[in-house]
Amino acid sequence: MLLDLSADATESEAFAAADAWLREHLPDDVLAAALGAEWDAVTAFLDDEERGAAWYAALGAAGLSTPTWPRELGGLGLSAAAAGGVAEAVLQYRVGRSMTDFVGLALGGPTIIEHGTDAQKERFLGPLARGEHRWCQLFSEPGAGSDLAGLSTRAERQGDGTWVVNGQKVWSSFAHLSDFGLLMARTDPDLPKHRGISYFLVDMTTPGVLARPLRQMTGDAEFNEVFLTDVHLPPEALLGEVNGGWAVAITTLMQERNGLTGRPAVGEGRSDDLLRRAAETGALADPVLRDRLLLLLVEERALQMTTVRSYAEAGRTAVGAEGSVRKLVNAQIEEETGALAAEVDPLGVLAWPAGEPTPSAAHDFLAMKTTSIAGGTSEIQRNIIAERLLGLPKDPDPEKDLPFNQRARTT
Amino acid sequence: MEFTWTSEHRDLRVAVRRLMTTRAPVDRARALAADGVRHDTELWATMAEQLGLQALDVPEEHGGVGGSLVDVAVVLEEMGAVLHGGPFLSTAVLAVEVLRELAPVADAAGDLLGRIAEGGATVAVALAEDGRAWSPGTVRTTATGPTSDGAVRLTGTKQLVLDGADADLLLVLARTDAGARWCLVDGTADGVTRERQEGLDLTRPSATVRLADAPGQVLGDLDGVAVADRVRSVASVLLAAEQVGAAAEVVRRTAEHATTRRQFGRPVGSFQGVKHRLADMAVRVEMARSAAYWAAFQERGSADLELGALVARSYCSDALLQTAKDCIQLHGGIGFTWEHDAHLFLRRARLDATLLGDTRHARERLLAHTHPDLQGVS
Repeated sequence: MLLDLSADATESEAFAAADAWLREHLPDDVLAAALGAEWDAVTAFLDDEERGAAWYAALGAAGLSTPTWPRELGGLGLSAAAAGGVAEAVLQYRVGRSMTDFVGLALGGPTIIEHGTDAQKERFLGPLARGEHRWCQLFSEPGAGSDLAGLSTRAERQGDGTWVVNGQKVWSSFAHLSDFGLLMARTDPDLPKHRGISYFLVDMTTPGVLARPLRQMTGDAEFNEVFLTDVHLPPEALLGEVNGGWAVAITTLMQERNGLTGRPAVGEGRSDDLLRRAAETGALADPVLRDRLLLLLVEERALQMTTVRSYAEAGRTAVGAEGSVRKLVNAQIEEETGALAAEVDPLGVLAWPAGEPTPSAAHDFLAMKTTSIAGGTSEIQRNIIAERLLGLPKDPDPEKDLPFNQRARTT
Repeated sequence: MEFTWTSEHRDLRVAVRRLMTTRAPVDRARALAADGVRHDTELWATMAEQLGLQALDVPEEHGGVGGSLVDVAVVLEEMGAVLHGGPFLSTAVLAVEVLRELAPVADAAGDLLGRIAEGGATVAVALAEDGRAWSPGTVRTTATGPTSDGAVRLTGTKQLVLDGADADLLLVLARTDAGARWCLVDGTADGVTRERQEGLDLTRPSATVRLADAPGQVLGDLDGVAVADRVRSVASVLLAAEQVGAAAEVVRRTAEHATTRRQFGRPVGSFQGVKHRLADMAVRVEMARSAAYWAAFQERGSADLELGALVARSYCSDALLQTAKDCIQLHGGIGFTWEHDAHLFLRRARLDATLLGDTRHARERLLAHTHPDLQGVS
């Protein structure tokens, strides 16, 4: 049952209501573990197939996983700021949905809410909220990265109204673990590149879908290349209009930039952990490193303040560009954090006992370029900021108005 | 809650912007500087009579309107956009903040707040000495022999006193036998010598004030260093708002130039080398605005105000310095000329970054504030 909370609730009212619900519904042993900061026990609870699934179902049914969705679609209808209160309440016990659900909850859900038919909303939103389905993004291709509209995966309509998809996607996080995918495919190559794309909701168990994990430079294998070979999709897989997929994708992409920045709260962050580590290793005594660490602290707090402002002013700022500002700064902070992690513990990141997991500093160092590339490179974000926030000319694209099939081949 | 904007905020912004852009545009600031006239008394009177700006930060019990920090920040932001250099910062912000602290223990401070509120007095704050902009703990100016009615004689030299050559009164931090105290000195009293300084910032005048056995009055028995520390927190937030206003104006002007200036058959803003630098400038302004106003929305005296003040002090100072430099870069040769306004913004950026103590020390204080357990690790 949905949490009893007015859609006009303030952030603190939302926090209080969510907190009360959590204390009432969390199993006693989990609540005790969370209050005692025994996080391993909490993680074990979430990872337990039965207990974890039951918990996410309850959390979703109460609307706590999707607080900004409309109530009639299983959300709480809250403003972004009030939803931050709910997120805060859930986070304090660390019993919320994992990062692997980011694509579904933060990108797929809002896109389906904005562009989906009643039947699509009915079919997908409930399971998404309850944690029954995991989603992935099938956007980027080997030949279409920053120029996403240059994608060449084809979806051809058959006489019976179904679709047949052929092509290759890449950088799809968690595709190998996903139940559904958000797919962009070309449906009319005679039209200019932005105008011949359609958006589909793909069941990843459909024959012809093959996800192959790619090993990243960190050693992790989180993202995938996905091969689509004669994949048959039903007519109801189409989201939005035929050849209207670019507009649908914009909804997804803006949610993505917005979501890659963290919660709207000012407090401890990555720079604080790094400062403590620097005190342990003695690096904090080095005046140059010390000031770099403090500059990072300033930057991170200022970004948090910007996120708070974005949530509070939502609807009144230049949508899109403002998300790009935060995404760009977040990428810079991540890069400096990774670089400083190595400076703070210079030997520790170079070697560790055989068989032990990579130390977090070494991982942070290797992962420092993640956000400046994922979800739209920093260069693309700067274009968006300059064009939308400052009104500068758009980058020239000689192929923008050419029919897709007449443009030069990319590799 | 942070960032809850009201129609009053918007109305105030519109009114101040209209006044400043018509009566005190950057050209006017430049002309005043060139003529050696440092204070537009008619504008000062209009500010008081039509908008009541000098009363904004003065509590109601002392004849002010008791505005919020956000209100005052909005005024400072609009003044920053035109590089206003009149006595508003010195009198209506710095002096008012010092006097607000002293008013509970000194009737004279409360009375003076009332005079400032009605636009009747200008007051300069004299703190800096020995090449340190805001280091109250190292003050060496002395105030000797407080009598029962608080009369003292002051001796010492104060530097970088904003509006110091013209203000009616001086608020001087000085050492007494009981410790550092704030003293009130008449600007024209015997023993007071005021030397107008040539300044890097052409649009904000400052002076060296020499006190040689000058008569003054101790304002109450409060620890003057502690007062100065509290004043710095609030003033840092308000100065940050000025920095935001200046930086936003710099970005606006640069974007306009990049859109109209053509080379190689295209607006220069269509080249990514230019466009991306401008995007970074816009990012700095947005972040600076968030930091300054997040702080301004906190309660006076709260730990969060201190946190916001220190973050804003560091971030907004660097943001204005960097955007002012980038503005010159993206204007090319014309931006390097005396006639172009770009250098005026860079000059102001340098002054503001130093005025309340340098940013590296603000970051050290931020460490002490957020991680007191780590502060001593060095």
